[in-house]
Amino acid sequence: MTETTSSEWTGTIDQVILGATKEEGGTRSCSYRIGGESDLPLLGTVPAGIRQPLIAFELCDDLHAWPQIVRHYVGDVADDPAAWSALAGKEYGADLIRLYLTSTHKRGFSDFNAVGTTVADVLRATSLPIIIEGSNEPDIDSEVFQSCGEAGQGERLLLGTAEASRYRSIAAAALAYGHSVVAQSPIDINLAKQLNILLRETGLPHDRIVIDPYTGALGYGFEYTYSVMERIRFAALKGDSDLAMPMICSAFDSLNVKEVRDAEPDLRDDAAVQWEFAAALAAAVAGSEIVCVRHPKTIPLLKEALSALNSGVRRAGGESP
Amino acid sequence: MIPVEAAKNQGGKALGESVKTLSGSISYEETAYHLPLAFALTGTPVHTADEARTIYAKTQDNPIIAVEAIVASRETHAAPDPQFTGFIEDAVIRKLGYSLVDGSILGLALVVGTPDNRDSVASICRELQEKFMLTFLAGDVIPALSSAGIKVGLDYRLIPLGPAPDSSIHFADILARVAMMFGGVTPGDAGRLLAYAAERAKAFVIAFPGLRDEDISFIDAFRVLGVPIIAVGEYSGEGWIQSPAQDAVRTGMDLKGIKVNVTAIPIPMACSPAFEGKSIRKEEMYVEFGGGRSPAFELLRMKNLDEVTDGKVTVVGPEIGDLKEGSAVPLAILIDVAGKNMRKDYEPVLERRIHNFVNYGEGTWHVAQRDLIWVRISKEAVEKGVKIEHVGKLLASKFRMDFPQLLDAVEVTLVTDAARVTELKKEAEAIYEERDARVRGMRDKDVDTYYSCTLCQTFAPNHVCIITPERLALCGAISWLDGKIAYEISPSGANQPVEKGKEIDALRGEFEGVNRFVKKASHGEVERCSLYSVMEVPMTCCGCFEAIALMLPEVNGIMVVNREFKGMTPSGMTFSTLAGTIGGGAQTPGFAGISKGFVLSDRFLQGDGGIERLVWMPAQLKEELGERLKKKLAERGLPDLFDKIADETNATTIDELLAVLTEKNHPALTMKSLL
Repeated sequence: MTETTSSEWTGTIDQVILGATKEEGGTRSCSYRIGGESDLPLLGTVPAGIRQPLIAFELCDDLHAWPQIVRHYVGDVADDPAAWSALAGKEYGADLIRLYLTSTHKRGFSDFNAVGTTVADVLRATSLPIIIEGSNEPDIDSEVFQSCGEAGQGERLLLGTAEASRYRSIAAAALAYGHSVVAQSPIDINLAKQLNILLRETGLPHDRIVIDPYTGALGYGFEYTYSVMERIRFAALKGDSDLAMPMICSAFDSLNVKEVRDAEPDLRDDAAVQWEFAAALAAAVAGSEIVCVRHPKTIPLLKEALSALNSGVRRAGGESP
Repeated sequence: MIPVEAAKNQGGKALGESVKTLSGSISYEETAYHLPLAFALTGTPVHTADEARTIYAKTQDNPIIAVEAIVASRETHAAPDPQFTGFIEDAVIRKLGYSLVDGSILGLALVVGTPDNRDSVASICRELQEKFMLTFLAGDVIPALSSAGIKVGLDYRLIPLGPAPDSSIHFADILARVAMMFGGVTPGDAGRLLAYAAERAKAFVIAFPGLRDEDISFIDAFRVLGVPIIAVGEYSGEGWIQSPAQDAVRTGMDLKGIKVNVTAIPIPMACSPAFEGKSIRKEEMYVEFGGGRSPAFELLRMKNLDEVTDGKVTVVGPEIGDLKEGSAVPLAILIDVAGKNMRKDYEPVLERRIHNFVNYGEGTWHVAQRDLIWVRISKEAVEKGVKIEHVGKLLASKFRMDFPQLLDAVEVTLVTDAARVTELKKEAEAIYEERDARVRGMRDKDVDTYYSCTLCQTFAPNHVCIITPERLALCGAISWLDGKIAYEISPSGANQPVEKGKEIDALRGEFEGVNRFVKKASHGEVERCSLYSVMEVPMTCCGCFEAIALMLPEVNGIMVVNREFKGMTPSGMTFSTLAGTIGGGAQTPGFAGISKGFVLSDRFLQGDGGIERLVWMPAQLKEELGERLKKKLAERGLPDLFDKIADETNATTIDELLAVLTEKNHPALTMKSLL
């Protein structure tokens, strides 16, 4: 961290803690502290104990709408979210697991106990901190978030995804069981701020919110996301505390873009990985403290690139790592 | 009548005696909060009778602590009775807290005592169920409900705590645990606990007759937690609110501000702030009102509660079905409000919200204010069945939803009958004038605090209006007084006090405090702001300005054009072209958005050489300001300036303007150069 920008920033990004170790009342092998910047991304001084951006591996409990290419690459383990998440930590090298409860997306879903069981199973299978993505249907939010919140009590989960039209159940689960919340707005700084205010009014403290600016895939809208992320961070550093939260980005459409679908079969994995890598790296540069990927092979590439970004060597001398 | 004060004293003594007789261990299972009230108030975990006595003494014989220990001791040693819940474990409280945040429960009620007749308690509990309250029961109310055929249990949101009134102590231990679980209240931090409970706990007690002195004594102590006590029985004491049984629930909910949310407004179009920035273009519009095409205005007035029927909407004149597509129709939006906390001073501030609320409608659009409004309804909305009446419904509902503390009733009348609109508009204009007059006479130098307005940041994110006694907001709708009142009504709203601070330039009206505020509120974009100058660091412009003041270097003067003027100005641009150039929150030296009334202010153009700079105004604006402007000019020793100000009848181009000004010997021509 050798360079700073010349602007007179007055704001600092809030620090959010993810995961809880045994000493902290949970069962994770580590916990992360993210945020804390008082300058633009990857510049300036970040408080001690903060390592970011973090890489989250996304997986799900129902592969119905999941990119085929992932299923193809990872094999049958994808049918068992617990085994899959164990693999993501041990073999893929992810920092975090992001579990999508896609089973709840089925029409008429009502097996709310199963949700809790899945979350508990995944928590047993991996010791990494976890992000849980619940239902996407307001009618069942209350039950779904109640059961994921309860199943993860004490683990300081990150729960998603709150939107302006439906945030109460997620906020309630976060408050009741000590978790944090992913607050998503559709590439719009004003709505991002509005949602954070709504969350604050439920009693959720600022340091339990992570902003999801909504991330388009590279070539499919990422530039809009980038520009909104810049504005969010500028506003935060200029002192707008309602936007001073860490960010999370998932360019999950990357694996479904035309260029990947149309690639030669034996090049398809590489195309997918490159596409996902480029979007994730750009999101990290724009200030995302957590970047999410779905292809296991993206993780080592991204790790190397992020550590180069973090080293400061390239910025100082201009040479490659 | 039972005097609460006397009962408290007697009861307190009796409780003290009972505490002395406690023995052995006292403890609840399935909780991390020990005896929750003792733990929350003092931070000390209590597990034995001796410890309980120590805490009781430490809290100056607090009856809540006494009853908690007495009930806990009883429940520790007796076999549980399955008819009652007794102490409720943490896991259930967590779920309960979840429902409170989630909004599936709106608040908590405790119903206690011995009802005279079972029907009154039955109807109270039914009303509580209908209003999404979670109700706790203790004592004889439980058998009374059962005999009235009402089922109790968590599933019915009626929780039977215990057979005696003292079981209602659990109601308070739940409030304490919710504060520790959800409010981050540290055990032992009594101050935080009380503040949290008073502010957040949506809870009240309904007390029937038959309470013992001991019960009165500890239930009375709930009041420090901000829990009001509604006395249906004959109790008289400070803070015990007498109420007939049929009004008890409403009284309690009103006192704690618990509102059954109107989640959807029953109109055939969506209504949300998400649509606020969406405009309706000419091609998309079915009908329009005002905007210079037809007379239109809006007026919000305070009335007595008996003069306003809440939710009533009346349309006087033709409805949507009677109107031709693409036509311009007269409109009066009349909103009558009543409320015990409402004040006449608040009228203009609330009136300004009409703008936001109409824009919330997916197919309705609104700009400007007062008698300048311009409203459109889209074709798409009309196809879906939206009528003029629905605009009224939207307004009536939104005012009630957004100002629950202020308004108890809102009635809306929409007039589309041309003759009625013209007639009513005269009355409205008198009221606008009256409101403006209230702030007239105050001087900027007389106050230390100005007010900001950032209402327009939704579409102009860096715009900051600074409102002073002598300078209305540029939209003309918010005066310094309105800013002050808006701040009182909603302290975290768009109108904030601005400490004027040290004077940097008296003539231009630049102040250190104002600069500091503007920099912060504009997110660092705007560093300085002079209140009385068009030329140097003028205020930013949103898009709502009533008029624009701009420099004309060719004639060394400044012209003013108002929104209503559609023609060409000597600057070579029309109002709408100019507005498009300077709006959006930008600071454009040489241009300023102003209210029409600002032209009459002694501060107008003070930093640019004075009112002598004013060279051109549309004839209609000249006429509107007419007598008042002439008077002002005469006061300042410029009695002949008014006639020297050109308008579109003698100058529409810069060359014509120069000729007119030269011919009339306008003072601007010989003043110090503007640039």
